[in-house]
Amino acid sequence: MIWKDQLDFVIQHIKKNKLRVFMTILAATMGCAFLIVLASVGFGLQDSIRNEILSDENITKIQVYDGSQFTEQQKDEIKSIEHVKTVLETSTVNASAHSYFEDRDTNSSLVITNMTDFKSVTGKLAKGEFPTKSNEIIVGYHFAQTLLNDAERDVIKEKSKKAEIEGTYYDGSEEGYKKSLIGKEIELSLASNSNGASETEKVKYTIVGVTKKPSYDWMIDNTVYMDSAQKVAIGSTLAALDKVAEDEVFNTEFNIYADSLENVKPILEKLKDKGYSVFSVTEQLDQMDIFFLVLKIGLIFVGTIAVLIASIGIFNTMTMAVTERTREIGVLKAIGASPKLIQRLFLMESTFIGILGTVIAVIISYVISFTANAVLPLILKAATGEDAFSSSDITFSLIPWQLVIIASAISIGVAMISGYRPARKATKIDVIQALRQEL
Amino acid sequence: MIQVENLQHTFLIGKKGKEKHVPVLKGVNFEVKKGEIVAIVGKSGSGKSTLLQILAGFMKAEQGSIRVNGQQTEKLTETESAAFRLRQFGFIFQNFQLMPGLTAFENIELPLKLQGASKAIRKEKVKKLMDKVGLSAVADHYPNELSGGQQQRVSIARALITNPPILLADEPTGSLDSETEQDILLLIQSLNRELGLTFVIITHDEEVATIAHRRFRMYDGELVKEDE
Repeated sequence: MIWKDQLDFVIQHIKKNKLRVFMTILAATMGCAFLIVLASVGFGLQDSIRNEILSDENITKIQVYDGSQFTEQQKDEIKSIEHVKTVLETSTVNASAHSYFEDRDTNSSLVITNMTDFKSVTGKLAKGEFPTKSNEIIVGYHFAQTLLNDAERDVIKEKSKKAEIEGTYYDGSEEGYKKSLIGKEIELSLASNSNGASETEKVKYTIVGVTKKPSYDWMIDNTVYMDSAQKVAIGSTLAALDKVAEDEVFNTEFNIYADSLENVKPILEKLKDKGYSVFSVTEQLDQMDIFFLVLKIGLIFVGTIAVLIASIGIFNTMTMAVTERTREIGVLKAIGASPKLIQRLFLMESTFIGILGTVIAVIISYVISFTANAVLPLILKAATGEDAFSSSDITFSLIPWQLVIIASAISIGVAMISGYRPARKATKIDVIQALRQEL
Repeated sequence: MIQVENLQHTFLIGKKGKEKHVPVLKGVNFEVKKGEIVAIVGKSGSGKSTLLQILAGFMKAEQGSIRVNGQQTEKLTETESAAFRLRQFGFIFQNFQLMPGLTAFENIELPLKLQGASKAIRKEKVKKLMDKVGLSAVADHYPNELSGGQQQRVSIARALITNPPILLADEPTGSLDSETEQDILLLIQSLNRELGLTFVIITHDEEVATIAHRRFRMYDGELVKEDE
């Protein structure tokens, strides 16, 4: 019997028992959709937390724990490890950088780093270029916004008060310097953290670049970045002001950057072998992934029980179908249909129920998942009165293609298995008995 | 064409543990030649239906051998037996055994579908045969819309569609009135004459047996040849 005729045969029988087959497909659909939606919560939570971790940190960054300074020799050793892109040395100055521009001023932190290494790690700037001359600096994304005059400070105070009454928070994004800072000259002095009001003399610098917006919305970055060529000069000025040793005015930190995410792990292992105490956010991800793997397996297991319950329906439907068609099967066998063909026809029918149920379930699951992600934050916001859920940061339900494959395999597999026994029964039908049945 | 030797079969009857062995075939021997109409006549319970079922391969005899067209059929597996039936036998049943959900055309087409014939070939063959047995007018009718005689004609056409050399008929006129019975018997005779088909007819009806070239009578599990 050719494939198309077999399919026709099966479809004809399904049409004859529309309601019964429809109900069975409905049960299969519900079971499979339950499985997918349940597991999608696990996938969604994992995705949310993963994004939370990855959004802030540079994922190719390997942090070095002990604050001890690397010697040039050590730096070279680390750089020689395969796939290490950069060893970035950043020194945060133990003083507040006080910048003056026109009638405006702001306080921020000052970071001194090797601009070549910094460029290779951060990539593109939001605006401008990386410094090439000694008096050139780059500033954080929000630097212009924090450059305020007295009038604006008053406005912000007003707005903050108002916001406080309403129970919200005002971030000052509407004030600040609105024009481009690129090419502008600012004056910068250092205000000692330890020595009260004393400030160093103002030095002129030209802003040549603005860094990218920080990945967190709430983060305000108005840092001033300077090339390491300035380190000695800044160090001696500040040491004189604070009356401390030159190396005490900096907090120096080393970070190692891999060239890609998958190379972080091998580098991490090599560094640990060499006795460095290092850490990467990817380690945290590994642990979290194991936890979520167990959670997802658990959810899929519970969902599979729903599919199994639906399979009882398929078993019943198919058993009924075989019983009803005993005489027809008898005739088919009598005129020369092989037992294999008869088994296949019934297996096709239960597989059809499984496939159709699964396809509908996948569509429904995507709709539910989409709706849940759109509506749940609103409900939670209304219920708790908190704004935290309204952001699109939290994914309540996520259906990756892997989940669709797993759920389809389980659902269709179970449908085929539950159709197997009735199909076997059909092949065992005794021709003589079947033909004796009354019409 | 068909050689049956020393066919023996016993049925187990009764409750478990208290079964009785009832012999139904006690060493049956007979032969059917090509192009013959052979009738096996007997009362119900004489074992004639069992003989037909064993002949058709629906069940296996405990002893004896059957040779159909040179093929030893009692050793075939179930799947081989099905394929063999499809090639060698056409079946005509007492209560027609048509598929209620299929039209007359589709019922006749069914064995060709099992053989895997293409749609075009099926259409051509079925149409030709329906003309021959006088069913063209009712091709699209379902079995419950046909008279008994028409249904049996559809059943005969279904048996003939694959051009099998042998037709096995089990009480072919058992459900028909005497007038229609005559029509069907004439059809069988003409098919035998024109196409050289071999018929084995199982019946309790002496009238049907009159069209046979040779007659056997089944008595209590034993087959006796009658004089022509």
